[in-house]
Amino acid sequence: MKTTTLLALLLATFSTALVSEAKPLSYVGGTMVMQENDETGHTISLDYTFIPTNAFGLYVKQEENGKDILMVTPEFNTLLKRWNLPDGQGNIFNMSGAGLAHYRDNNQPCLWTAFLADYESRRWFFSYEPRFVWDGNIEKSVWQRARIGIAPYLANYNDLNTWIMFQVDHHPAKHDHFVATPLIRFFYKTYLFEVGYSSNQHIMVNWQIQF
Amino acid sequence: MKKYLLTMIIIFGLTAAVSADTIKATVNGMVCGFCATGIEKTFRAQPEVKTVDVDLENKLVTIHTKQGQTLDDAKIKKLLGNAGYSVVALVRGK
Repeated sequence: MKTTTLLALLLATFSTALVSEAKPLSYVGGTMVMQENDETGHTISLDYTFIPTNAFGLYVKQEENGKDILMVTPEFNTLLKRWNLPDGQGNIFNMSGAGLAHYRDNNQPCLWTAFLADYESRRWFFSYEPRFVWDGNIEKSVWQRARIGIAPYLANYNDLNTWIMFQVDHHPAKHDHFVATPLIRFFYKTYLFEVGYSSNQHIMVNWQIQF
Repeated sequence: MKKYLLTMIIIFGLTAAVSADTIKATVNGMVCGFCATGIEKTFRAQPEVKTVDVDLENKLVTIHTKQGQTLDDAKIKKLLGNAGYSVVALVRGK
């Protein structure tokens, strides 16, 4: 099989199956592509960080496990607060978008906003994210996500980093109110990859690239 | 003897003027290699910089400048701030 065909197949697989809880900002002048496929649907976003506290980009999400709504919005990410500590970093971010939602030949204006609070040391990772979505007269939803992670070994900058993580989602409006997903995260330099399997039997595969 | 001393002073002076800097920055908040990549990319984009090394274990960023070039403290702090981190100490060497 040709390399290009293999790459195309891999990308196609990722684009139909993944999710991540990575920071929504990189460094000034940095661009980030992130794809998340999980039990809530498939998301792809492209962000450009133009000042240390802000990034803008494009956000596209195809929801699943409920109404199969397609959302397309510009995205604006803001670092609200950062704590740079000797052995860790804590952040609070806001991510927001306004655009169009499409559901069964019905186009509606949509808005969404989410807050992400995280703390990370070289050993531990914690995050919490509440998200609010308004899709015109199609749907209004609130859901939240929490994640904890531990690094089984302390990797240095040029090493492959491995994290064992556990994620819990709470979707009050969906059939599965609580969904648990154990997952494993790998990253090396500018490449991040996550894979997991949820309690409602969905494969999670997320990836992110900074350039 | 005076000529000899003068020559030595000039030679040492010129050597100092064209030598490169090694700057070690101790950084708070630098715990994630994926995020710290921004530091490497940011400094590599500077014309004065030859190499950059990131050491998560010791929270250290080591910047080697090109011959005859340097980066002032304010610029280093600004660049590390733009990458998302706080500088707690800067040590310079040749």
